[in-house]
Amino acid sequence: MSAPIIEPIIDLQNVGVAFNAQLRVGSPRFWALEDVSLSLQRGDRLGVVGRNGSGKSTLLRTLAGIILPDRGRLTRASVSCQLLSLAVGFMPHLSGRDNAILSGLMLGLRRREIEQRLPAILDFSELGDFFEQPISSYSTGMQMRLGFSVAIQVEPDVLLIDEILSVGDAEFQQKSSDALRARIDNGQTVVFVSHGDAQVQQICNRAVWIEHGRSMMQGPVDSVLTAYHAAAPVAAGAVGV
Amino acid sequence: MRLHLIELTLFSTYAELRAERARSYLGLLWWVIEPAMNMGVYYLVFAVIFKAPEPNFLAFLLIGLTLWQWFKSCISHGSYSIWQQMPLIRQVKLPLQVFPNVQILADTVKFLCILALLLVVLWCSGYPPNITYFALLPVLLVELIFVAAASYIVAAIVPLVPDLRFIIEQVLQVLMFLSGIVFSLDGLPPGLRAWFELNPIVELVDAGRGILMRAQWPNWASLGRVALISLALYALGSFLITRLTPRYVKLPS
Repeated sequence: MSAPIIEPIIDLQNVGVAFNAQLRVGSPRFWALEDVSLSLQRGDRLGVVGRNGSGKSTLLRTLAGIILPDRGRLTRASVSCQLLSLAVGFMPHLSGRDNAILSGLMLGLRRREIEQRLPAILDFSELGDFFEQPISSYSTGMQMRLGFSVAIQVEPDVLLIDEILSVGDAEFQQKSSDALRARIDNGQTVVFVSHGDAQVQQICNRAVWIEHGRSMMQGPVDSVLTAYHAAAPVAAGAVGV
Repeated sequence: MRLHLIELTLFSTYAELRAERARSYLGLLWWVIEPAMNMGVYYLVFAVIFKAPEPNFLAFLLIGLTLWQWFKSCISHGSYSIWQQMPLIRQVKLPLQVFPNVQILADTVKFLCILALLLVVLWCSGYPPNITYFALLPVLLVELIFVAAASYIVAAIVPLVPDLRFIIEQVLQVLMFLSGIVFSLDGLPPGLRAWFELNPIVELVDAGRGILMRAQWPNWASLGRVALISLALYALGSFLITRLTPRYVKLPS
């Protein structure tokens, strides 16, 4: 069941992204992404592998349209791309319910859509009566559970996931990754950043390997992972950031 | 898309006001107590200590301060509005005008409460409602546009130059004295006064005092001029925010 070859929905050619290193006049810029090329088709489950500081998170935010490239070319079909972000816009003094609505609006849902999904959010988050309490009274785990329950309600064309989420206790972790898996198995287009080979192998149909802000290789998961591990991680410590 | 942003702005404003209420014991009462205390201080200094020559000084001062505080709080809150949301801006893609809009709206709600109180005080102290009250709407509308414009401009620049926050408060302080809020500009030589009147706040506060104290229609020509300037500045501010948005996400966190 391979995806038919169609026009890419996002296409990056030799994309570079530079950041300001410091808030100073004339501070030098550094290139978080040097030269990345990749293309994403509808229905793709693309895994991004690379060492710390290789630019994976920057790549995701570039795909999300939050960061614009400073060089190279990025073309995007009219699709919505969204980072799976937890607890976006949460305010401590508001109730779980109000925060769910606020966060949902921030993530692009309409008010009516969120109201409809509130029972599902309450149910999934397992917050019970706490749902009406200010989230400042929540434990970190409870806040994350609420955050995930809201975030999973958003249905972008392309879902961007940065690292696997360790949300709440073991039981909720299982539940949240099951929910994500269900979404992915339903044909959701995903770009997935991970350190763990197992997750990439389980979830992804393709992978791209990023090193020092450059895309080294793109293709089937196994061959990319093999090449990635074959390359000695000598410079990894030197990159930092 | 537009409707979604309106929903987001309204709900964020509600959240902002609600959170503010939860942060103190007296909650909503502070909306009124704080400006009232502020007005009391100025009254003490300028009426009791300095014995302001202005007749009807209390009404003069209260109207000036009410209109000024709206402007001032929108600017100081607006200046933080985008800067404070940097973590969020790195996560989701939104038109960033939403953030100053929320602050402006929240401050406008508070302003309307104070305005209602001001009207009651005025009616009780010999300034009954009059036909020129109809002109309040356009005057307040123009002030809203001006306030939003100023708020957008500072909101756009502060993330790039956070140091500006320290200067803005001082500039506002000076601007208040230059705007004839706490003392009348009538004592100035005519040549100098013409310069002061280039300041839109002088125009707006004068119009407000004319309506509320003297049943006097505003000078439509100068109100129109202020409206045009405000609209131009608003467009500039909005353009700045849109234009600078890609740079905010690249700033060091």
